[in-house]
Amino acid sequence: MATYDSLFSSLGLEQWCSEGKSSGPMSMADLLNKNKGESAEPASLWELPFPSMDALNESCAAFPQSRELTKGLEQGFLAIKDSLSLVLDPLTQPLSWFLDGALYAMLNTPWWIVIPLLLAVVYVVTKSWKLMLFVGGSIVLLAFIDHYDYAMQTLAIIFVCAFLCVLLGVPIGIAMARSNSLQRMIIPVLDMLQTLPPFVYLIPLIFLFSVTESKLYGIAIILYAIVPVIRLTNLGIRLVDKDVIEAADAFGMTPRQKLYKVQIPLALPNIMAGVNQTIMMSLAMVVIASLVSAPGLGVLVLRGIRNLELGVGLVSGLGIVILAVILDRVTKASLARINVSQKQ
Amino acid sequence: MAKDIKISIRNLYKIFGPTPDVALEYVRKGMGKADLLEQQRHVLGLRDINVDMHDGEITVIMGLSGSGKSTLIRHLNRLIDPTAGEIRVDGEDIMSYTEEQLRKLRRERMSMVFQKFALLPHKTVLENAGMAKDIRGYTTSDFEADARKWLARVGLEGNEYQYPHQLSGGMQQRVGIARALVSDAPIMLMDEAFSALDPLIRSDMQDLLLELQEELKKTIVFITHDLDEALKLADHLVILKDGEVVQQGDPQEILLNPGDPYIVDFISDINRARVLRVRSVMSPPDDGDSEFAGDISEKDNLESVLLKSEGDMSLNFRVVRDDQHVGTLHMKDLARALVPTAASADRSKTAA
Repeated sequence: MATYDSLFSSLGLEQWCSEGKSSGPMSMADLLNKNKGESAEPASLWELPFPSMDALNESCAAFPQSRELTKGLEQGFLAIKDSLSLVLDPLTQPLSWFLDGALYAMLNTPWWIVIPLLLAVVYVVTKSWKLMLFVGGSIVLLAFIDHYDYAMQTLAIIFVCAFLCVLLGVPIGIAMARSNSLQRMIIPVLDMLQTLPPFVYLIPLIFLFSVTESKLYGIAIILYAIVPVIRLTNLGIRLVDKDVIEAADAFGMTPRQKLYKVQIPLALPNIMAGVNQTIMMSLAMVVIASLVSAPGLGVLVLRGIRNLELGVGLVSGLGIVILAVILDRVTKASLARINVSQKQ
Repeated sequence: MAKDIKISIRNLYKIFGPTPDVALEYVRKGMGKADLLEQQRHVLGLRDINVDMHDGEITVIMGLSGSGKSTLIRHLNRLIDPTAGEIRVDGEDIMSYTEEQLRKLRRERMSMVFQKFALLPHKTVLENAGMAKDIRGYTTSDFEADARKWLARVGLEGNEYQYPHQLSGGMQQRVGIARALVSDAPIMLMDEAFSALDPLIRSDMQDLLLELQEELKKTIVFITHDLDEALKLADHLVILKDGEVVQQGDPQEILLNPGDPYIVDFISDINRARVLRVRSVMSPPDDGDSEFAGDISEKDNLESVLLKSEGDMSLNFRVVRDDQHVGTLHMKDLARALVPTAASADRSKTAA
């Protein structure tokens, strides 16, 4: 007999326990015990098991086992899955179009247009010839070792996802800055998104969307990468000098004027720091998302791990590092330009 | 001086805390600031303030930090709403204003200068100066001429395209003043506008303000914790202590007849000769039998008269206003005015 028998008998629940006796599948531990012919009775207080679901189940068959919790969650999710995807599918469909479109455009435009175009963008946002040369050299190097297509796929995905993160994240951050109760509600969600291992939220996404659709990894990347831009927009707007806000009020600015003429411009350095973080996190996630069919350098990394192809893994890993350095330098340089024009 | 009353504050109370209305009852029954904080956990900001501010005058509100002076000035454009009381601007009760009316008041009838300048760091000096106009929907080309004119007037010609962080504190505050002037508002609220500046620049700015006021005749409400500054600028001086008005009136009058030991403490270490003016100590015109050592203006301070007399206490001066003989200053009276009165000396001892 098990440890907690007396608990149930003292509560007068024996009847209920025996009624609910079900011949559920035996756990491995039970099976081992049975084979050894030992009872589950602990020898001493030293071995007293924690009154967990499984331990209580041993004493009272009607008590649910812990595996029923995971099973229940799964069944619950499967039950709402169809109605959920009915809503989410059309809502997220544009994401698939954006991603597919960007991938198509990036790969089907000849390299001698794409590379100069990228360099031109780099120059416009950073106004630095040195940085532009560095970026050009890095891309040429990647192209030379035949990683151009993979790198461009990764870049295309990052561009689309980071753009959408900013598009959604900045307004959310502004709304949070304006309402303390909204901030209290959103911050735990952001904390969860940031700490939940990225693999974990790939699982429900696989159930919800087809793996062949690009929005699956798009959503995963956006959920993971949107956090810093929301946080830093919120922080940036909250940190805007109270005196300047008071002056804006005293001269009769409307809330909209205050937002566009004071709060956003003064929060811009923080918002841009958030954008930088968002881009870097998109890059981190796009590698992991190759598990769910995201194309790009991550696929090669995955191949390296799966087939133990050391060279492939190392070279593609190095390619990711190069992309990361490029993206970081370019966003930091444009951030520095904003900071200079904003010095207090 | 029977000028129109521009801003009138009646029975104004402000209490900070979760339930100010409940606390207000205690305050009306006479509970003091310390008791209110201890027993009700509410902070008494302002208590029964009644002040009239006249058109075209500089009203200075003076008090130490925590006396509620910054709170009071923020009531005038309702950056802070009172717990109870009435605020009238041009005879209209601004407490009854809608949001739209209030915005119009802030845009067109009041401007404000801040202690910490509060300029927009990402805009040029010119754009900052035109901020009030920009808010009203004018474009830069509409207000550029105006902004340039006032920037030049406050001594910032040639700095139009610099950014605030490139200017010194004094220059930044000049931009703040130009910003208030460009708005064309008849009322200017100045919240410790010169307190963050060093003494020499502060004195310059005070002179600039007086000079501008001579010409513009705006209604200025000026907050300061510095008595010298208050006496230099004020047409009407209001002294606040712990959220209450302890004395208000003509600054010379307050100086000669302090009504409260708190004020006596305050005025004990100022240079009376520099602050007192001839008109406060002169006698009515004599019949013309006395001999005059020279002509002085009624606005001169006693220090300049002392300088003129070279310390000779037997002299008499003729006081003139627009070439009219309006009074006589006997040096004996001057000396008497410089002596702190016995009564005030007594009080300062008890206060100390």
